[in-house]
Amino acid sequence: MQHEPIVTIRHLSKIYRQGEMEIAALDDVSLDIARGEFLSLMGPSGSGKSTLLHIIAGVDRPTSGSCHVGGIDVTDLDESQLADWRNQNVGFVFQSFNLIPVLTAFENVELPLLLMDLSSSQRRELVNTALELVGLADRRKHLPKQMSGGQEQRVAIARAIATDPRLIVADEPTGNLDSASADTVLEILQTLSGEAGKTVIMVTHDPRAASHGSRTIHLEKGKLLP
Amino acid sequence: MSIPGFVIRNALRNKRRLLLSVLSAAVSLFLLVSLMVLLREFTQPPTDADAALRVAVRNKVSLMSLIPQRQRAIIERVPGVDVMTPFIFFGGKTDPDGGIRFGTLAIEPSKLKRLFPEIHCAAAEYESWLKDRTSCIVGRDTAQQYGYKVGDRFTLVSGIFPCKLEMRVAGIYFGTVDDRNLFLHHKYLDEAMHDWGQTGMWWLKVSSAEVMPQVIDEINKAFANTANEVRAESERAFQASFVSMWGGIKFLIGSISGFVLLTLVMVTASTMSMAVRERFRELAILKALGFRRRDLFALILAESFGLAALGALIGAGGAWAFYTGMDVPRATHGIFVTLEVTPQMLGTAALVAAMLGIVSCLAPAIAVARMSVTEGLRTLD
Repeated sequence: MQHEPIVTIRHLSKIYRQGEMEIAALDDVSLDIARGEFLSLMGPSGSGKSTLLHIIAGVDRPTSGSCHVGGIDVTDLDESQLADWRNQNVGFVFQSFNLIPVLTAFENVELPLLLMDLSSSQRRELVNTALELVGLADRRKHLPKQMSGGQEQRVAIARAIATDPRLIVADEPTGNLDSASADTVLEILQTLSGEAGKTVIMVTHDPRAASHGSRTIHLEKGKLLP
Repeated sequence: MSIPGFVIRNALRNKRRLLLSVLSAAVSLFLLVSLMVLLREFTQPPTDADAALRVAVRNKVSLMSLIPQRQRAIIERVPGVDVMTPFIFFGGKTDPDGGIRFGTLAIEPSKLKRLFPEIHCAAAEYESWLKDRTSCIVGRDTAQQYGYKVGDRFTLVSGIFPCKLEMRVAGIYFGTVDDRNLFLHHKYLDEAMHDWGQTGMWWLKVSSAEVMPQVIDEINKAFANTANEVRAESERAFQASFVSMWGGIKFLIGSISGFVLLTLVMVTASTMSMAVRERFRELAILKALGFRRRDLFALILAESFGLAALGALIGAGGAWAFYTGMDVPRATHGIFVTLEVTPQMLGTAALVAAMLGIVSCLAPAIAVARMSVTEGLRTLD
């Protein structure tokens, strides 16, 4: 079932300048992403898929065009507003997990919650719920180095969902995982999209991973392929 | 977990580097406090409450120039002058070929206790000294250092005047801010110098602090345009002019302190830069998670500040404990009487540490602030 779009992109372009040369990472991209959708973004290296993901997530700015997420044009927000917006609306999952090595699984998941006006008991409850959702409640006291890659990525997903964001952006989330762990991670993302109503946008090279999404779009040389 | 807890975890992630950085800050701050202690010792000799009533009168040309004893009658008549004694550095050496090991000062013994009431000496010993002009009293520190006892005899050879004096130790004194000197009879020196009619200075005590400016003014005027013009000044002013001779040492100590600070800033800044560079990707992740520039700046500043504060606690606190606990005259072989770490010095060290914490984190904090999330994220994969 398709809902109203949560992400509305219109005529989005991103041009990088290298000396005299101009490289168009995104070229007049227009796109709608529905609430609760699990969108797979595919394309060769340099096609602009990560750039598009970063603009939607509010960590990069376009050269032109607009990107509304939940009715807010993220390209209009200043640095400080964007930081707050990301904290409340976006969950990030990266290829190399990017957990803080000196913090336990619990503390890593708690990290984005420290920026919110929550008591420690409220934070504890949210962290425990997130860790239970990814099946790692018993690993809360483990450091990243004491866990497998698949477990680390599940902790990263727990961190991404701890603040209850509307949007989860995943950049090659299965790129560093074996197939069993990748399947687990993809199933969790599917559950988040299908059952929890989160909008998941995933960049991947892997057609098998992309097939877990509800829709797949392809980018090439900064343009959306029909 | 709390934000301070997160800062501590980050600081502790490379324990060896943290230890070495804290130690380098601690050693530098210990050295800085030590230099301040030395500078104070050179520039602000310890004084007591009676110093406010004491006046030093010396030859206007220089401290080394003598003044005639006949001035005494004129100065004694100045209203407000309570006590007066001639005073001269004898420059005595117990070993003719050696150096001067302690101060040997010729004065009028009957005036000593009135001029320096804080001096303590057994009554019998003091009486014995007053009665025997060939005797002396020795400061307790010097007596302990060289093993002098009451009744000991030795020869003092002057390094300044062409004479030598046979001495008997009549007593041991203590209680002054500098218990290292030897006091002898000025009259004994006069005889050895064939009643030369000279002295080095006059030391006076005035009846009250209010009359001091007037006394000083009258004494200076009394000898104006004479062959032996004098400069009368308060003890504090005299010490200040005496200290001006240490100008070179002040500059040297000031320069060393400056270099210590510079090195300290560079070492800490280097440590913080390395610590932040190693964590650049993590800081990008934090930014992505919603940490603002000022949050990240606060994290880096807190770590840098903590490092500097720990260094200050160990370095400046260690200096305080070290100098408070040490037997200064013995440890410095009598060169210094007191080496005191004042609250002002500790405050200065704390201020330096705070500045250090801020300055050393500026460059890495600016680099993190300028870093875009995508730039940081691109370095990840």
